[in-house]
Amino acid sequence: MTMTPVAAPPAARPGAAVHAAAGRKRKEYLSLYLAISPFYILFAIFGVFPILFSIYLSFHNWDGIGEMRFVGFAQYTFMLSDPIFWKSILNTFEIWIISTIPMLAIALVLAFMLNQQIRGKSAYRIAYFVPNVTSIVAVAIIFGSIFSNQFGLINWLLQTVGLGTVEWLTTPWGIKVAIAAMVIWRWMGYNALIYLAGLQAIPTELYEAARVDGASWVQVFFRITIPMLRPIILFTVITSTIGGMQLFTEPQVLLGNSGGPGNEGQTMVLYLYQQAFSLNQFGYGAAIGWALFVIMIVFSFINWRLVMGSETRGLRRGVRA
Amino acid sequence: MTTQHVTSSPAHVDRSSGLSPQAVQRIKSFITHVLLLIGVLISIFPFYWMFVMASRTTGDIFQFPPEILPGDRLLENIRNLLASIDIWGSTLNTLIVAVCTTVLVLFFDSIAAFAFAKFEFPGKNVLFIILLATFMIPSQLSTVPSFVIMAQLGWVGTLQALIVPGAVNAFGIFLLRQYAQGAIPSDLLDASRIDGCGFFRQYWNVAVPLLRPALAFLGIFTFINAWNDYFWPLIVLINPDRITLQVALSQLFGLYQTDYSMVMAGAFLAVIPLLVVFFIGARQFLSDLAAGALKQ
Amino acid sequence: MTHSRRSFLAAASGLLGTALLGTSGCGRGGYLTPEGTISLWYWNRSISDTLLGKVKDEIGIDLVPQKIGGDYKQKLLTSLAGKAYVPDIAGLNEDIATYFPDADQFIDLYELGAKELEPLYLDWKWQRGVTPEGKMIGFPMDTGPTALYYRPDIFEQAGLPTEPDEVAAALDTWEAYLEAGSALVEALPGVKMIPNIGMVYGQAVAQQATRYLDEEDNFIGDGPQIRRPWELAVEAHQRKIAANALDWTPDWGAGMTRGTIASFVGAVWMAQVLEEAAADTSGKWRVCRAPGGAGNSGGSFLGITKYCRDPEKAYKVITWIQSPENQLVYGLNEMQLYPAAAAALEDPRAQKKEEFFGGQIINEVFATSAKQVKPVYLSPYDNVVGAAFSDELANVWSLGKDPDRAWEDALREVDRQLSHLGLI
Repeated sequence: MTMTPVAAPPAARPGAAVHAAAGRKRKEYLSLYLAISPFYILFAIFGVFPILFSIYLSFHNWDGIGEMRFVGFAQYTFMLSDPIFWKSILNTFEIWIISTIPMLAIALVLAFMLNQQIRGKSAYRIAYFVPNVTSIVAVAIIFGSIFSNQFGLINWLLQTVGLGTVEWLTTPWGIKVAIAAMVIWRWMGYNALIYLAGLQAIPTELYEAARVDGASWVQVFFRITIPMLRPIILFTVITSTIGGMQLFTEPQVLLGNSGGPGNEGQTMVLYLYQQAFSLNQFGYGAAIGWALFVIMIVFSFINWRLVMGSETRGLRRGVRA
Repeated sequence: MTTQHVTSSPAHVDRSSGLSPQAVQRIKSFITHVLLLIGVLISIFPFYWMFVMASRTTGDIFQFPPEILPGDRLLENIRNLLASIDIWGSTLNTLIVAVCTTVLVLFFDSIAAFAFAKFEFPGKNVLFIILLATFMIPSQLSTVPSFVIMAQLGWVGTLQALIVPGAVNAFGIFLLRQYAQGAIPSDLLDASRIDGCGFFRQYWNVAVPLLRPALAFLGIFTFINAWNDYFWPLIVLINPDRITLQVALSQLFGLYQTDYSMVMAGAFLAVIPLLVVFFIGARQFLSDLAAGALKQ
Repeated sequence: MTHSRRSFLAAASGLLGTALLGTSGCGRGGYLTPEGTISLWYWNRSISDTLLGKVKDEIGIDLVPQKIGGDYKQKLLTSLAGKAYVPDIAGLNEDIATYFPDADQFIDLYELGAKELEPLYLDWKWQRGVTPEGKMIGFPMDTGPTALYYRPDIFEQAGLPTEPDEVAAALDTWEAYLEAGSALVEALPGVKMIPNIGMVYGQAVAQQATRYLDEEDNFIGDGPQIRRPWELAVEAHQRKIAANALDWTPDWGAGMTRGTIASFVGAVWMAQVLEEAAADTSGKWRVCRAPGGAGNSGGSFLGITKYCRDPEKAYKVITWIQSPENQLVYGLNEMQLYPAAAAALEDPRAQKKEEFFGGQIINEVFATSAKQVKPVYLSPYDNVVGAAFSDELANVWSLGKDPDRAWEDALREVDRQLSHLGLI
C-alpha cells in the first residue's frame, strides 16, 4: 500500500530534511499498515463473503436447502409488520438496561475493592472469575431451579420473609429479570477483571498523592479512578452494548428457541436463529440480522458519544480546576 | 502522565469522630471483606453445584428439595464418561486450538492495537470504524457461508478451520487499543524514536512490557473462549478423531433423555485446565509486581 | 532495528505457516468418509451403539457412525446448504416434513425396494416418511404412541377410579378427563390434575387425523381438529386444574415427585423422563389409554441423501438396523426406543413388567395406542403455523389474555406467516 501522507506534520521543516522525513514517514506507514493488516486480510478471506452472501440472502426466500427465490424487499416489509420482531427488539433493550447498567456498576466497585490492599486477593479474584468458566449446561439447570415458580430458591426466600412468590419464568418481567440475573452473574467478574487490569495501569503515585492530600475513598474513586479508567470504561460499555444486543446463549438455555411463554425472553439474535435454523427461514433470518446490525451501529454510536462526550467535559473541568 | 489535576483537589479531614485511623481502617476492611464474600458465594455456588451434580445420579439432580452435598459417584460418572467419549484425544485437540489461537491473537491484536493507539496514518479512522463494525455482525448470520468457504478451502474437519479465522479479532484490538491509550506514555515513545527505534522495535521494547496486564487478560479470555467454543466447532468438525472437548461433550445429549450427572462430570473436568490457566495468567496482571514493572 | 523487525516477520509468518500446514495435498473432496464406507449421522441414544458395532460382521459393510451433538438440525442444514460433507445416511426427526420441499436431496427409498418392507411397519408411521408426491425419504425408526400417566393413590383420595381399565373407561374423553380434574382439585387442595394446558392442546392435536395444512398446502387449521383441542385447553385453564409447570422444568419434576401433579398425557418415552425426574415415586404410577384415544408424539427416521455414493449399501444398512428384530432387541429392550415394526410390539420379549409402574406391563397400553394412531398429513409448515397457536395459548394462561381474542390473533398471525411463505 503506497500512500502519500495527506496531513502535513505540525511543525514546518527546512527543505533538505523534508525528503528524508517523508521517506521515513512512508517507511513508518508501511510498518503500520503491515501491523494492522492481519485483521483485514483474514476479514477479506473469511468475513466479506459471508456478509455479501447474507445481504443477498435477505432479498430471497430460502429454506436452506432448495432453490432461492428472489422476493425483493418482501423480507424487510414482512419484518416491519412482524409483531414478534418488534417485541424481540423491545425485549433485548429491556434486558440490556436491567442487566448492563447494574453489571458494569457492580464490576467497577468490585474491581476497586479488589485493587485495595486486602488479604486473600488472589482467592477472591479466582472466585469472581469462576462464573465465566462454569459449564453453561450447569448454569441453565441451576438458574432454572433458582427461578422455579413453585420450588425455586428465590421464591422460597421470598416466602420465608413473608413476601409473595413471583412466577419468574412465566411472566413478562419475571422472565426478563431471570435472564438479566444470569447475564449479570456470568459477566460481572469478567468486567471486573478488565477494570482491574486497567486499574493496574494507573500509577500508584496518583493514589499516594491523593492520600497525602487526605482525599477520601469516594473522592479517590470519582476523581482518580474513573477519569483514568475512561478508555477502559468505554471499551466495556461498547462491548456490553454489542454483547447485550447480541444476547443469545442465556435466553436460549433458559427458555429455548422461542424465548418462553409469550416470547417474553425472545431476543433479536435468538429470533434470527429460530427463524433460520428452527423454522428454515434463512432469508428472513438474514434480514433480521441486518436490521440488528443497523440497530447496533446506531446504539453503539450513541453510547460512544455518551462516554466520550463526558470525557471531553471531564477534561475541560480538569483544565479549569 | 500528569498528576496535577488530582493533587489540586482540596484535602479533606476524616469526618468520622472519635475512632483511631487504625480502627477506621479495620472496619473498612471488614466491610470490604463481607461484601466481597457475599459476591464470592453467589459466584461460586453454581460451580459448586456442578460438582455436586457430577458426584450424584441424574435422578438426584432433579429431586426436590435439591441435594446440596456432594455424593459418592464422581468416579463412577467419570468412568462412564471415559467409556462414552474420547476425552483425551478431544482434550489434546482443544489444547492445540486454544494455544495456537491465543498465541496468534496476542501477537496480531497487540501489534495492530499499538499502531491504532499511538500512531497516525492515512485512513486510520476509517479502518478502525470498519474494524468495530465487523464486531457488530451477528455470527449466527454467517454459519452457512463460512462453512462454504471452509469446504472450498478443504478445511472442513481440520483444526485450522477453528484457528485461522480466530487468529486475530476486533475485540482484542479494541481492548488493547483502549488500554494502550492510558498505559503507554507518548513521551516514552518519542524518546525511543529519538534513539532510532522503528515501529517494530518500539512495539517489542516499549509496548509489550507496558501492555502486559491487558495482554494477560486477553490471553486468558481468548484461551477460555477457544476452549469453550461450541457452535462453530460443532458445524465444521466432522472427523470423530479430530473434535474438540465441547463437541465431544455435546454428544452426550440424548434424543429423549440425557445422563446429566455424566455431562456434569465432563463439564467439571473440562473446567479444571481453565482454572489452571487463569491462575498462571492472572499472576501477570493481578500481582502487584505488574504494577511495579509499569512504573519503570 | 532491522534485525528485530525481521525476527518479528519470521515469527509471524512462521505462526501462520504452522496454522496453514496440512492444507496442501488435501484432495479428498467433499466427502465425510473414504470411498467404500457409509457414513451415518445420528443422535446419542437414538440407535444402539452395540448394534452399530455389529454392522461390519453381520452384513459386511464399513459403516462409520457419527454421533452428532448440539443442534443436530443446524449441522445437517449447514452441510446440505453448503453441499459438502453431507452424510450418506442422516437421522431425521419428527419434523421430517420440513424436508419435503427438498425431497430431491434424498434418495427415494421406494426405488431401492422399500415397498416390499412396507407391510412390516405401522402404516401411519411409514406414511409420515413419504412426501405428498409419493417419494419415500425417511425409513421408520422409533415412534411415540401416547397414553395417560397417572397416580392411582392420588386418584383414590379424590374418589376417582384407580385400576387402568377403570380409569380408561371412566376418562375416555377429554371432557370426562377435565371434569375429573375439577373433582380432584376440589377434593385435594394443592394438587393439580395436569402439569400445564399446553399439554392438553398438544396431545389432543396429536390424536387428530388432520392438522394445520392439507396436502395441497391449503390452511385448514381453523377446523374442528384444532379448534376443539384449543377449546379443551382453554377449558382446562378455566377449571384451574393445571399446575402451570412447563415440561422439562424443575417445577415439572418437583410436581411429579411431590405428588402435586396427579396425571399427564404423554408419549411412551416420557416414561424414562418420569423415572429420572421422580425416582422416589417408583411403583406409584400407572398407565392407561389416553382420553380422546390414541396419538403420537415424537419419533424419528433415517434417510439416504443424494450425496451418497452407494445407495444400495446404505439401504442395506438402514433396513438391517431398523429390522423388526433389531428394533425389538436393540431398540426397545436395550435403548427404550419404541418400535415402528408391528411384529416387535406383539413379541413376548416386549411384554415386560415395569417396576416403576407397579409391575404393570405398560407395553400393552402403548402397543394398543401405537396400532390405533390415525394417519395424518404433516406439512412442512406445521412448525411455523403451530407456533402461532401455542404462543397464543401461552398468552392465555400466562398473561390472562382473553381466549377468543387469542384465537383471532393466532389466525391473523397464521395469515401473516402463510403470506410470508408465499402460500396464500
